[in-house]
Amino acid sequence: MGIERDGPPSPPRVTPGGFAFPGTTRSNHTGSWRLERPLYETSASPCHGACPAHEEIPVYLDHLAMDRPREAWESLVAANPIPAVTGRVCPHPCESSCHRGAFDAAVSIHSVERFLGDMALREGWSYPGFDGEKRDEAVAVVGAGPAGLSCAYHLRRFGYRVTLFDALPEAGGNCRVIPDYRLPGEVLSREVERVLAVGIDFRPGTKLGRDLSLEDLEEGFSAVFLAPGRQKNRSYSVDHALPGDLHHGLDLLWEWRNVGTLPRWERAIVVGGGNTAIDLARSLLRTGTREVHVVTDEELPGAPSQPGRGVMPAISREVGMALEEGVRIHPGRRIGRLILREERVVGVELVHALKEIEGQTPVHRAFEGTETVLEADAVIPAVGQEVDPAGIARLLRNRTVLPVLATGQVEGETRIFAGGDACPGGGIVSHAVGSGHHGARMIDALLRKKELSPKTPPTPIPYSSLNRVYFERRPAFALQEAPPEARDGFSEIETTGPLPLLRQEADRCFSCGHCLECDNCWTLCPDGAVLKTGGRSDLPVPYVFDYDYCKGCGLCARECPSGHIRMVPEP
Amino acid sequence: MTSSEPPSPSVDWAALRNSQPRFSGMESGHGACQGCGQALATRLVLEAAGPDVIVANATGCLEIFTTPWPQSAWTVPWIHSLFENAAAVAAGIEVALRAQGRKTRVLAFAGDGGTFDIGFQALSGMLERNHDVLFVCFDNEAYMNTGIQRSGSTPHGAWTNTSPAGKVRQGKRHFKKDLLAIIAAHGIPYAATASVAYPSDLRTKVRRGLDIEGPSFLLVHSPCPLGWGHDSALTVAVDRLAVETGLFPVLEMERGHVVETMKIRNPRPVREYLELQIRFQHLLGDSPEAREEREHLQALADANIERYGLRAEAPGPRDSEGADTVRRGGSRWG
Repeated sequence: MGIERDGPPSPPRVTPGGFAFPGTTRSNHTGSWRLERPLYETSASPCHGACPAHEEIPVYLDHLAMDRPREAWESLVAANPIPAVTGRVCPHPCESSCHRGAFDAAVSIHSVERFLGDMALREGWSYPGFDGEKRDEAVAVVGAGPAGLSCAYHLRRFGYRVTLFDALPEAGGNCRVIPDYRLPGEVLSREVERVLAVGIDFRPGTKLGRDLSLEDLEEGFSAVFLAPGRQKNRSYSVDHALPGDLHHGLDLLWEWRNVGTLPRWERAIVVGGGNTAIDLARSLLRTGTREVHVVTDEELPGAPSQPGRGVMPAISREVGMALEEGVRIHPGRRIGRLILREERVVGVELVHALKEIEGQTPVHRAFEGTETVLEADAVIPAVGQEVDPAGIARLLRNRTVLPVLATGQVEGETRIFAGGDACPGGGIVSHAVGSGHHGARMIDALLRKKELSPKTPPTPIPYSSLNRVYFERRPAFALQEAPPEARDGFSEIETTGPLPLLRQEADRCFSCGHCLECDNCWTLCPDGAVLKTGGRSDLPVPYVFDYDYCKGCGLCARECPSGHIRMVPEP
Repeated sequence: MTSSEPPSPSVDWAALRNSQPRFSGMESGHGACQGCGQALATRLVLEAAGPDVIVANATGCLEIFTTPWPQSAWTVPWIHSLFENAAAVAAGIEVALRAQGRKTRVLAFAGDGGTFDIGFQALSGMLERNHDVLFVCFDNEAYMNTGIQRSGSTPHGAWTNTSPAGKVRQGKRHFKKDLLAIIAAHGIPYAATASVAYPSDLRTKVRRGLDIEGPSFLLVHSPCPLGWGHDSALTVAVDRLAVETGLFPVLEMERGHVVETMKIRNPRPVREYLELQIRFQHLLGDSPEAREEREHLQALADANIERYGLRAEAPGPRDSEGADTVRRGGSRWG
C-alpha cells in the first residue's frame, strides 16, 4: 500500500462482493417463512343449512345486492323453481337461523325471495340451464304438487324425459287451496305453468290406482318418483258421534277454490291447529260466517309453557293474523261431546285438554270437570290428512306414510323414490321442493350408475367466525302488511317494496362463509400477497394468494368479515 | 363469488401482479416481520401518494427491510442518508425540485425514533422553514430495529429492553411525548394522526397532506408484533383497540388547531388493549403496583377522550365503528 507518486494512477479495482446488479425484492420469495397458509374456503351459511329447499341464499342475496336481479333469480331457481310461492307461504326457517339475528335483526330473506319470484313473472324470465345433454331414460313422477313439480323440473334440467301424472285437472297440489290473501291463485298458476313448460309431459286427471298402476310405471319408466301428498281426510268423530252434514276442512277449501262458495254459518267451530284449520277459519270469516272458533288441544305457537307440549303446527305469523282478524282460538281445549238435535249440531262441550309429545306418538289428555258449552251450528274437522293407499298399498305395507331411505328410495325398492308430504317429516312447501330436488339427484345418480350418496347436511359456520366489527347495524326491511280492518276480502295482505329497498335488504346479508369481495384481505396484507383477479376467466375467484410472498401472518383471516379465509398448517 | 379452488398453476403471476388496480410503491419480497404494521402502513401511504414522489427515509426498520442489498422494494425514487436527517434531506430535495420547476412531491419517512428523538431537530427545522414536504412518522413506540429500546414515543408502563418491568418500575416510567402539541406549535398548515386499522381514513389524510402547500405531518400508529408481543394476525385488531380505548387519538389539525377527530362510538376499556400485548403483561396481575398502573393508563386514555372530545354523541359513518364498515364488491377503500 502507499501512494504512488510516480506513474499513471492505477484503475479502480472492484473486489468480490463490492458490486452487484440492482434488483427488486420480488426475487426474494419470503413465502418460505410461512408456517401456516391462508385458504379461501366457502363454508355453509346457517340459512342454507336451515333451508328445506337447500337454496344458496347468500349467493342470490349477493347478486341482488350488486344489482344483478336476473342472476339472483337464476341462482335461486337452481334450487327452487317456485320462489314466488315459497316466498309467500314458507315459514322461513332460514331467517330463524340467520346470524344477523344475533346482531340486529335477521335478513328478511323471504321478502327477497318473493320479490325475485314476482320480478321473474313480471319480466317473463325463463329458467336457465336447460341446454345440457339429453338422456335417453324416461322418468315418471306421480303428483304435481311442489315435490313432484320440483322433481320433474330438476330431472328435466339433468336432461331426462319426464312424465308427470296427477289425479286432479290442474297441477299445484295442495298449494291450490292456500287462500288468495296468502298466495294469489294467479301467482301459483303462472309459476306452475312455467315449470310445466320446461318440456314436462303433464298428464292431468290420471290417478294412480285408478287409471294406472305402479307396475305400469315400473314397466314404462326407468325410475319413478312418488309425491302423492296426503289427500285422504283423517277420520274424525267425537265418541263415534258425527254431525249429519259433516264437512272436512280441506274439502271446504277445495270447494272454495273450485266452486267459489262457502257455507255461511252463525258460529262455526274448526277443530285442529294446523294451516288448514287457520286458512279455513279466516276464509269463513271473510265469506260471511259471523263467528269462527278454532279448538285445539295444542298450545299457541311461540314459547310453549312446558317442554314436550304439543304446539299448533300452523305458521306462527298466520295464527297471529287470524287472531287480529277476529278468529277466536281456544288452545288447550278439545271437544268432549257434540250437542246434537236430530243430526244437527247446536253446540259442543269444550273440555280442558293438553297434548304431550312422548317419543314418536302424541298423548292427548282431557280433564273431567272442566266442561263448558259453546253454542255452534257447525263443527268442521281440520285434523290433518293421510296418505291415500290407492295404488301404493304394496309400498305402504300398513304404514301411514311412505317409508323412505336417506337416498330418497322407498324402503325395499331400487327404482322407486318418494318425497313430499307422503313421507315422514315435511309439511311445508319448501320441504317438498327440497325433497323433489333430492329425489331428482338420486334418480340421476342411479341412472348414471353412480353411487347414491345423499349429501350430509353441512355444518354451518359459527357466529364467532365472523368479524362483526366490519358491519353496521341497519334496520331490516319488512313487507307492507294491510291492517286487519283494511284486509279486503281475498286480496293479498302483504305487498312488496321497490327494487332499491330489496337491494338494501339483500346487502344486509353477512355473507356467512362466502366471499363479500370487500377487499379487506387485499387492502390489509402487509406483504402485498393478495392479488385481485379482476374477473379473469382462468381465475374464477375474486382474489388469490401469492404464496411466493405470503408470510402466513394470519391478518387476512382474522380481518375477513365473513369467515371466508382459513389458516391451515403449511403442507 | 364462491370458489375455493386453488388457482391454476398456469397463472402468469408477474402479469397478474403488474395489473393490480392500485399503485405499488413498495414491492413484495421485503423483509418485514409477519404482520408488520409499518409495512402495511407504508404500502397504504404509497398507494395514496402515487408514483410521482421522491422518498427520503431515515434509518430504521423500514429502511432495512426494504433494501436488502442489492435489492430494493421501492419503485419510487428513494434515498437513505442518516438516522437524524430525513427531514433535512427531504427539504433539500424539495428546494431543488422547486428550483427546477418540477411538481414531484416529496415525502419523508421515519420511525418514532427518527421523529420524536433523533430526527426531531431536523424535522422542526423543516417545518419552521416551510418546506413543501409530507413527513410521515410510522409510530411503533420504540426502537424496534435495534432490539426494542424505549423511545420518546414509548407509552407509559410499556416494557422495553431499556424500560424493563421489575420490582422498582412497572415498565417505562415517563410518558409518551406529546409530539402533536409540539408539531401544533409550529403552526403548519396540516398535521394528522391515523391508524392502520382505518386504511380509508389513512389514505385520505395522505392525499390531504400532499394537496396542501407547505409542510404537513402525519403520525401513523403502526403495531409491531415482535416489539409489542402480539400475535401477527392481530395487528389491525390491536390498533383498532388503540383507537377505541382513546390511547391513540385519531385527529386532524390545521395551523395547530384540531379541526376533526375520529369519534369513539363505544370506548373500550384499556385492559382489552393491554391484554393482547406482552409489553403490558406485567400490568395485568393483581399486585397493587400493576393495578395502579392499569388505572393510570385508563386515566390517560380517559384524559385523551376528554381533551379531544372523542366520545361520539350518536353513531356516524366516520366514527370508530362506522369508518371501517365493509362494502360488498370492493368499493370500500377510497
